[in-house]
Amino acid sequence: MTTVIRTTALNKIYEGAFRGQDVHALKDLDLDIRQGEIFGYLGPNGSGKTTTIKMLLGLLFPTSGKIEILGSESIDSATVKRNIGYLPEGAYYPDFLRGEEILAYYGKLYGLRGKELKKRVDETIELVGMQHARKRLLRGYSKGMRQRIGLAQALISDPKILILDEPTTGLDPIARKEIRDLLLQLREQGITLLISSHELLEVEMISDRVAILFEGVLQKIGSMAELLTQRELSMTVDHLSESSVSDLTDKGIQVEDRTGNRAVLRLPFYMSSYDGVEMCKAHSLNLLSISPRRETLEELFVRIVSTASKAREVVQ
Amino acid sequence: MTFLSSVFGGPWCIAVYTYREGIRRKLLIGFLILSLFVIFGSSFISSFLDPSAETDIDLKLIKDICVTAIAIFGALITVYISASVVPAEMETKVIYTVLSKPVRRVQYLLGKFLGIQLIILVNLLLMGGLFFIALYMRQGIMPTLLLWSIFLTYFEFLIISAFTFAVSCAATSPLVPTLGGLFIYITANLTEYLKDVEHRAGQTGQFFDNLIGKIASALYSILPNLQNFSIKMQIVNGQPNDPPTDVLIPWLVLYSLVYALAGFACAYLVFRRKEV
Repeated sequence: MTTVIRTTALNKIYEGAFRGQDVHALKDLDLDIRQGEIFGYLGPNGSGKTTTIKMLLGLLFPTSGKIEILGSESIDSATVKRNIGYLPEGAYYPDFLRGEEILAYYGKLYGLRGKELKKRVDETIELVGMQHARKRLLRGYSKGMRQRIGLAQALISDPKILILDEPTTGLDPIARKEIRDLLLQLREQGITLLISSHELLEVEMISDRVAILFEGVLQKIGSMAELLTQRELSMTVDHLSESSVSDLTDKGIQVEDRTGNRAVLRLPFYMSSYDGVEMCKAHSLNLLSISPRRETLEELFVRIVSTASKAREVVQ
Repeated sequence: MTFLSSVFGGPWCIAVYTYREGIRRKLLIGFLILSLFVIFGSSFISSFLDPSAETDIDLKLIKDICVTAIAIFGALITVYISASVVPAEMETKVIYTVLSKPVRRVQYLLGKFLGIQLIILVNLLLMGGLFFIALYMRQGIMPTLLLWSIFLTYFEFLIISAFTFAVSCAATSPLVPTLGGLFIYITANLTEYLKDVEHRAGQTGQFFDNLIGKIASALYSILPNLQNFSIKMQIVNGQPNDPPTDVLIPWLVLYSLVYALAGFACAYLVFRRKEV
């Protein structure tokens, strides 16, 4: 698969007013985003996600390192920018313009004119499902409709790469699903999507690969299948006593959904089903069911961030 | 044609957008309404004058109030709009959506600056137009001198606008550029005093005295002299259809354009590598 975005040893240091106040926002970031994939870019607040995106767009300048987009290192060139669409988080669009006017404005910035512009405005409005409100002033738009128009302005030039910063934040569940379906539809059309988001469930549902960043350092990168392979076992047991609960907890087993003597036990990933059965025998538990369970992206994220956070505390 | 449209198409599009957004600002509309109120109110004030006083004194008062109102409110509008356009786009993140498109930073700045000029021009024409009609109805003579005054006032505002815009490109909020713009307006209207300071400071021959004289001389050479653009005294005292005297209009236009270009160049130097 062709790499459309590549960063090599990318660093960004925000210089403070005084010595010692510098912030190393991004440390030796190596990323590769492949053509036609949905790439989830994750990390807690202040981890460097927006900094990376802004550098890809030429809004910030790297302190060191290399950025390559569509094989070109001159990311500020019109050719590269013509192929990138960007939806920033919480951007404002003027209330006095109509939906189609705002798209025409952004289309003109891409150099589109006349019939070509009209055609693209029509196509994009249809793509984001806003035909019914195209002539309405933006002040009459809901949050979801504004987000769709934001997405439409990012798509107006028919880009090869779409960069989205928190595309579903603040939207209701229906609007979220509609945006999610739209993103999947765009991937089907061959567009590469880079999505920075805190909505881990959504990212897990649509992403092909993800990268997790913590304090400017890339912690993990890979496909969903690679990252979420660790399978844990989940066992439903009966005849659970108080003494067994404390003993099981000491062994790293999580006791969940406890109702009377019945509970669900989550075994750590290093314990096999054989270990689970032996454990039941040892504690005289009645084993009702046993099933494998895949770690969620949220759990992986929390685990990676906690580990990185603890490692930092040790270093400090 | 294609080359021109590719270079200036983007800036013009940004300029029109800036204009359409700018003219809706409440503070700007407030300044405009206030200035129109003053222009209307001047006739009312003149009715309180002593009827035995000098003939035409009421007309002189109206002219004085109106020309001053246009100069002051026009300058406030100029400073406010020039100081706020770029920081407002940073605050609302609209700048991200524009600069991520194939628009060069110089094109973006050019578009914003042109948009600001459109707003200033429209406001000036509204204020000046109303005064023009009022004066024509009162005197029955076409006040062509007023048109020259409005023309020169625009070029005065162009200088203030360019430097305020340059300060705004370095700022993240409109407060500092607004204060900077007002400072530029006041200082550039007091440039004549710097010449006095230069003459007086050089008289004692002491070190600090000489130093102040040299600083005053340097500032006099660098700063624009906005008093050059004023034909207020001629408007107040002269005939409404006189040609402007004591001013060389082509030279003043060139003078203004050179300063505006310098201001715009400063804006670009600041913004060229600005991290947004």
